[in-house]
Amino acid sequence: MTRSVIDPITRIEGHLRVEMEVEAGKVTDAWVSGGCYRGMEHVVEKRRPEDAAHIVQRICGVCPVSHAHASSIAAEKAYGITIPNNARIIRNMLEGAQFLHSNILWFYNLAALDYVNPINGLSADPDGALALAKAAGTSTNTDFVALQARLKKFADNGQLSIFSGNWFDADGGEAYKLTPEADLLLTAHYLEGLQMQSKASEIAGLLGGKMPHVMTLIPGGTAFVPTEQKLDDLKMLIKDLKAWCDATLLQDTVALAPFYTDALEFGKGCGRYIAWGVFEGPQWPYDNDYTKQMANRYMPSGVLDELLNLSEPDESMITEYVGSSWYKGSETYQSPYFITDGEFTSYDVTDRYTWVKAPAYGGKPYEAGSMARILAAYQRKNSTIVKMVDQLLADTGLTLTQAQSTLGRTAIRQVETVYIAELMEQWCDELIEAVKGGDSAYFETPKTTTGAGTGFWEAPRGALYHSEKVTNGQIDGYQIIIPSTWNLAPKNDKGEKGPLEQALIGTPVETIDKPINALRTVHSFDPCTACAVHVTEPKTGKHFETVTSPWGVK
Amino acid sequence: MRNNTQSFDFELALDARGVSRRSFMKLCGAVAVAAGLGEAAAPRVAQALEESVIGAKTGSLYPVIWIEGASCTGCTESFAQVDTPDPATVVLEMLSLNYSETLSAAAGESMELAKEQTIHAGNYLLVYEGAILEGWGGQALRVADKPGTEHLIEAAESANAVVALGSCAVNGGWMGANPNSAGALGVQQFLEKNGIKTPVINIPGCPANPEWLVSVLVDVVMMGKMPELNGEGKPAGIFNQTIHDNCERRGHFENGEFVYEFGTKEEALGYCLYPLGCRGPQTNSNCGVTLWNHGRSWCVKSGAPCVGCCEAAPNDPGHNWVEVNTPFRSRHRDLRVAGITFQPEQPAYILTAVVAGALVIHGFGMKVSGRMDGGAPFEKVRRWDAKHPNKSIGDYGNIETAVAAQEALDESLKSKKGGNK
Repeated sequence: MTRSVIDPITRIEGHLRVEMEVEAGKVTDAWVSGGCYRGMEHVVEKRRPEDAAHIVQRICGVCPVSHAHASSIAAEKAYGITIPNNARIIRNMLEGAQFLHSNILWFYNLAALDYVNPINGLSADPDGALALAKAAGTSTNTDFVALQARLKKFADNGQLSIFSGNWFDADGGEAYKLTPEADLLLTAHYLEGLQMQSKASEIAGLLGGKMPHVMTLIPGGTAFVPTEQKLDDLKMLIKDLKAWCDATLLQDTVALAPFYTDALEFGKGCGRYIAWGVFEGPQWPYDNDYTKQMANRYMPSGVLDELLNLSEPDESMITEYVGSSWYKGSETYQSPYFITDGEFTSYDVTDRYTWVKAPAYGGKPYEAGSMARILAAYQRKNSTIVKMVDQLLADTGLTLTQAQSTLGRTAIRQVETVYIAELMEQWCDELIEAVKGGDSAYFETPKTTTGAGTGFWEAPRGALYHSEKVTNGQIDGYQIIIPSTWNLAPKNDKGEKGPLEQALIGTPVETIDKPINALRTVHSFDPCTACAVHVTEPKTGKHFETVTSPWGVK
Repeated sequence: MRNNTQSFDFELALDARGVSRRSFMKLCGAVAVAAGLGEAAAPRVAQALEESVIGAKTGSLYPVIWIEGASCTGCTESFAQVDTPDPATVVLEMLSLNYSETLSAAAGESMELAKEQTIHAGNYLLVYEGAILEGWGGQALRVADKPGTEHLIEAAESANAVVALGSCAVNGGWMGANPNSAGALGVQQFLEKNGIKTPVINIPGCPANPEWLVSVLVDVVMMGKMPELNGEGKPAGIFNQTIHDNCERRGHFENGEFVYEFGTKEEALGYCLYPLGCRGPQTNSNCGVTLWNHGRSWCVKSGAPCVGCCEAAPNDPGHNWVEVNTPFRSRHRDLRVAGITFQPEQPAYILTAVVAGALVIHGFGMKVSGRMDGGAPFEKVRRWDAKHPNKSIGDYGNIETAVAAQEALDESLKSKKGGNK
């Protein structure tokens, strides 16, 4: 029985440690620890909801748009605002651009290095790489001969740069299973992916001023007003990006998967999924029916139990437990609440071991993320998602049950990326039509300055929750539950482990100091610890109660 | 494995200290047992200690350690959007980025080893992103089982220079805003407190524009010199001018053409965002010149007033962009007394009058070159409004009367001017 520790986990956002008990080559217990506390909720207290929408983006530099969105929705619910239709479309595109950026970056530049060894591409036959690309039906924008020469020059210089300390030799040199040709091909797409995530960010920059941390997504709608010149740029950027996504993402996934089918055998996790839904739907507005609004999003909401039975989300079912984390007390709080305060004790896996709290829905941990969104859409019979998922399963010879694994979670996300690229094109055309038809409303002013509201939304990494109470235009309590808080949760009050901890248990570990399969499992969740750590204001006796429906103005 | 081809002149070092191969292997066995790996793992431990995980210690690439402190990864993300050169060129042909939590292939112990070996080899640049947190003895930020503060000290001591990248690294950024519950501060102040003399280059911004970082890298890596810094340790070429100096909407400011509400026609016309709280006039940065995301846009171009995210006084975490500039939509910051915040309404009206007066003098009065006893005259009516009385933005009561008053003023100015020459 030995301990295997990965600290820091790299190719994620933020600081994460994973400690595992390993017995007979398998993980038997696991503790996931988020390493940083920043105190966001304290900072937005007594500031304006309009300020908060800007400030909370600094929770995460990868998904700032989602935080601005969730915060703005919370403010709009508090203010009694319904945003104009054009603002809905522009905000969907801003969010979509960020999702494309984040999903592409995650797959090609963060997760891929667990499967692809660029240095092995040095011994590839470039003609073989081209033949492989053609056989896989994937894009071939890169000159493989030139790429190999570039890699050779890099290798000859001898300095390893971002490959310093790599794990390419893990598991006795057997961990990386691609042929040199496949490694060369996917290294080409690593580099193209780096450019494409940047093109996606350029769309967010066009609509939001800059990315990361966009500026135009504000409570009430959008500060961005399209001009013909901006619409033209927007349309062409989307066209280029969509063409690459269509020709590359799923094809690469299908080409990569057969080399790593052992990763279908582990990494399932808790097997329950939660999604609040993202991209506001076409029948806007939904007349204060929040449940309907969430169910009609392009990626809809859904709470899925172990048998994947879907139910509608209910805010009163959300709780957070702080007894395994570095906060005062051991309470379980029902959301929305504004009453905890950080307090570091020591790193002790038998007591408290993380800055991340343990959220639960109906008392149980749930997995958030792309997998949860896709399963929710699938269970709601979203025709595009059903078609694409079924196609991917057919191409890889998998079942939906097998997809609930490290490899499945890594693969299925590309379905979402391709779907969003298609939506981007639709939204752009929709906006052009709306402008042509004379619709010129982009912003709505508040109807009241006192109220409360919750923004249920999705970041690329999953279900995102911002809730705020506003008194005379000032924030009087703010709570955030981030997707990675769901996924990286520590042990809850009933002793049940968080989704990632559960997913790690059973993962095979051959090399204790380079547990590559554990790293693959961690990356399949695309964790973001920068996001995951959250506190709220310590104010005894102040409890925020739901007065009317679980949704909307309270 | 190719990454293991470069030896670390380890045996020479052992020899010099009179350590035999045999006793070295014994030590490795002890290390392996202590780490819970068992005696059999000794050769692997020996290999790990002996081999360079960073490859060659020197070569054509400039070694860089990039540490993320208490960050949102936004500055790394921003770097991934760099336009010239693209990020792949930077990490393959310009820098040897031996430690980056977001981009490195390595993880865990091998990652920390890469950092250690880079520090040991020397002659490297440290990029530090995010705030330093002193809360709970530095435990507010934990990496590789120790406080973030220790990591910074170790890496900064032998670095050629430290680039404090982004407003958080410059002075704690938004984390320094009231109540600063994690004890955030910036690199320069932290290193001074700890007696470390390594020079610091401050690049504020939330996030920092990647082109600014690259311009500093060009100085350090390609030209072998420090960039010219201003009194706050910020590159003078970037931060010695205001947003307002280079703003593409500046002409509309001069013309008195403003956006008074979001999503309006005035926005589509690209009018000035000053009334919506734009911090361009008091924020030092050249955003409007450098632009963002492949030169595609910047805040003001997209319709958003500047929130002054480059505001960061290196030695004062309290003077950060959030504390100084919120509420972003008002022209004045909130006052905070004993935990209560309020807009300084009465003083604000007076200030507004002063600022408005100053603006009129600046915007319009400056057009009139003649000096008069008692100071420059106030414009009675905006020129544009006088020409387009039906579409005038200003509120003059009766515009004809105002125009007549203006004409009289103009006449008197003309005669004064003549008299001066």
